[in-house]
Amino acid sequence: MNKFFKNKLSIIFFIFIPIIFLWHPNWLGILGVQPYWPLFWLLPWSMLNGSINGLIFGFFLGLILDSLTVDNSFTQIPGLLLCGIWFGKVKIHGDLLVGHFRYGLICSLGSFLCGTLYFMQILIKNFSDSTFLLFIPSLQNIFAEVFLTGFFAPFICSKLLRFFRFYREKSSIINF
Amino acid sequence: MFDIRRISTSRWWHKKKSWILFSIFLFLIFVRITKGSIYKDFYYFISKPFWPGQSQKELMLKSLNQEYLIKSNLLLKDNIRLREILKLQESSKSDSILAAVISRKTGSWWRQIILNKGSKDGVEIGSIVMGPGGLLGRVKSTSFLTSSVILLTSPESKVGVWLDRIQINGLLIGSGDNYPNLVLYSKDAEVKVGDFVSSSPASTLLPPNIPIGIVQSIEKPFQTKKTAKISLLAKPHLIDWVQIFKLKI
Repeated sequence: MNKFFKNKLSIIFFIFIPIIFLWHPNWLGILGVQPYWPLFWLLPWSMLNGSINGLIFGFFLGLILDSLTVDNSFTQIPGLLLCGIWFGKVKIHGDLLVGHFRYGLICSLGSFLCGTLYFMQILIKNFSDSTFLLFIPSLQNIFAEVFLTGFFAPFICSKLLRFFRFYREKSSIINF
Repeated sequence: MFDIRRISTSRWWHKKKSWILFSIFLFLIFVRITKGSIYKDFYYFISKPFWPGQSQKELMLKSLNQEYLIKSNLLLKDNIRLREILKLQESSKSDSILAAVISRKTGSWWRQIILNKGSKDGVEIGSIVMGPGGLLGRVKSTSFLTSSVILLTSPESKVGVWLDRIQINGLLIGSGDNYPNLVLYSKDAEVKVGDFVSSSPASTLLPPNIPIGIVQSIEKPFQTKKTAKISLLAKPHLIDWVQIFKLKI
């Protein structure tokens, strides 16, 4: 049983992303905005397993998170797909300190990309109904999310990366 | 013979990993089609020990009394004005279901709450959800044990509203912050800060005269439209207990 948990640790963390997404702990947020949780898992996973795995699991994450939100018109899949591909190309940095801060920067940019793509969908859908100025709060959402994601990423991503590397069973990786 | 066997076993469909990946994909498609009901029901069980206590229930009943007083005054006015007009939607108080909020997303893009009552308890898609003070939103999807509510502040929410003082209909559109936008399709509408906003009698989605909010600020007229920010009476980020009302068409 213990062996099973160690081998499947990354998948167990994957299952908990939607739970945290639903839980939405307010005490961790700013202005009611939360960090973009799926990126914390996607970055170490893609860094270890490459762009194709990043793309596949970015798509899976998008599917599952879309199914938990009631907004049918908008999707998180494009942002997570792009982040999965991009994160797969990022190499692990030798310097521990620089590596930590790099996770923050990469996750911030990823969050900005995902937020912007989501905002564009809202803007396109509502363009006929309202003016551009009505969506200024959305920019506030993007920047709060970018800040929080960048703030938490060095702690969470480096821990997850260490776990994944330590417990990774080579046969469980999907090679293409 | 050996070569043929080697080639045939290297096909992707002979790989166990490909089938595992395909099974995960099919499972996720199933989750997507069912709108995450498995996940929501699973969340129902693991969040059960952390559900809100009973004290808010009493607070809610107190606030409901005040709300009924405002509402009865509005209904009296409305009855006189709408004697000859057919009501499009009607809600029945006897069909109300009391539910606790088990998940709350009131910031960022996704503005929704998940309640601990689902199709098992008779919650239907389209039912309206009210908290102390007024309308919160509508039920968008249900699972066996839970129901997801789209809040009025969500960018996907659009409901017809009524400004009682100036007797005009408008559209309340969520903008992704705590103050949805009221759009009036008349540049000359004399809307003022403090005006009371309720659900429109002409709405096909909501019953008439449900308290919604108060005009907080007014934007400059743009083209033929006038917009205003609305402060909602029911605060979704504070409420732990809500009431669900079924709609009667």
